Amino acid sequence: MSEEIAWLASKKAELFLVQQGYTTLPIDPFQIAKDLSIEVKAKPATAPGVSGMLLRHGDNFGILYATCYANEGFEKFSVAHELGHYLLEGHIDHVLPEDGIHESRAGFLSSDPYEMEADRFAAALLMPADLFKRACTRLSDGLDAIETMASLCNASMTTTAIRFAQLAPTCMAIVMSSGTTIDYCFMSESLKTMGGVEWLRKNEPIPNGVETGRFNANSGNVEQAHRVVRDVDLQDWFGGQRSLPGTEEILGLGRYGRTLTVLTTDVLSDDEDEDEELEESWEIRFRR
Amino acid sequence: MNRSPKPSEAFPARLTEARNIRGLSQTDLAEIAGLPASSISRFESGSRKPSFENLRRLAGALQATTDFLLGRVDELDASRAANPMYRDFQNLSDDDRDLARGFMKMLAKRSGGHDEDED
Repeated sequence: MSEEIAWLASKKAELFLVQQGYTTLPIDPFQIAKDLSIEVKAKPATAPGVSGMLLRHGDNFGILYATCYANEGFEKFSVAHELGHYLLEGHIDHVLPEDGIHESRAGFLSSDPYEMEADRFAAALLMPADLFKRACTRLSDGLDAIETMASLCNASMTTTAIRFAQLAPTCMAIVMSSGTTIDYCFMSESLKTMGGVEWLRKNEPIPNGVETGRFNANSGNVEQAHRVVRDVDLQDWFGGQRSLPGTEEILGLGRYGRTLTVLTTDVLSDDEDEDEELEESWEIRFRR
Repeated sequence: MNRSPKPSEAFPARLTEARNIRGLSQTDLAEIAGLPASSISRFESGSRKPSFENLRRLAGALQATTDFLLGRVDELDASRAANPMYRDFQNLSDDDRDLARGFMKMLAKRSGGHDEDED
């Protein structure tokens, strides 16, 4: 999916919220569905299967969503993802083959452009840029800040981490991994523009020698939601033309089976008053 | 075997047809449906595809069914219930399939209708 389509999906979600008067965090996709006269029902916790389904019978619509992970944030994201299929233009061809049922596997892992578009829509619906940025102005840019925002938005750590990286004015990235493999990586705009930085691709191995690789070698770290913080050089992750002293924060995501790594560097604000600069940068950049 | 037209391929002509049957101008329809007038023109020319929400609003404004606008039935106020033999049905787990069927029956009851195509 092109960046333009991803950006448009986010903007459509944000515009929808403004037009419908949803102006405070947390955004409740269940309430939005209710306001749209869409029936929402939870699948039993014992049923894994798909994360969500958009169903249609005549002029009536419904959403079924998975509860097997016992993760409220994931459930909200799944419902928001199906709302994306309902509200995004052109999804009728994708969602309506010959049936009234559409099934999704939400969560930034699909390579289907419609599913990716619905994922971007969902993230922006739960964490609209203006409200998110405003709430971030007093926070730093590490794992603690992501946890605070996840709590405020009542969203999952993974969704929040991705949104944080997309919107952060600072130099940072989040990496989701399983075992020795990268599931996906999102870099902030500042990091993308650093000279020679390499993009970490889906299904690539975790770079040799980084702390996350050692962390994942012990599956107990993930299952028991262990947390590790190390001072590192981000060049070990992204290459590039210069050393990027920073921090690698690692969190095992328990039943989800994945590891979240947050990579930050304050290399861009070495000479500034950090707190003031950070607050100002969130505000200025996000007003654009 | 001929390929069924995609829903968005049938939609422009069906929208125009329903609007003409109801004797509405594009502006009238836009106002009743709560959509910009330019959207109706773009939907009818096929330059813009609708969302389900657009579809539902337009169906309501035209007193037509979404199935008519999607080209799935030929009468303005007729509905075709979901066909359980759909393309990706086999990819769902048995549990999901049963859950989906049960949920769709509930949706059918909600509209006070019945499911002609149900097995």
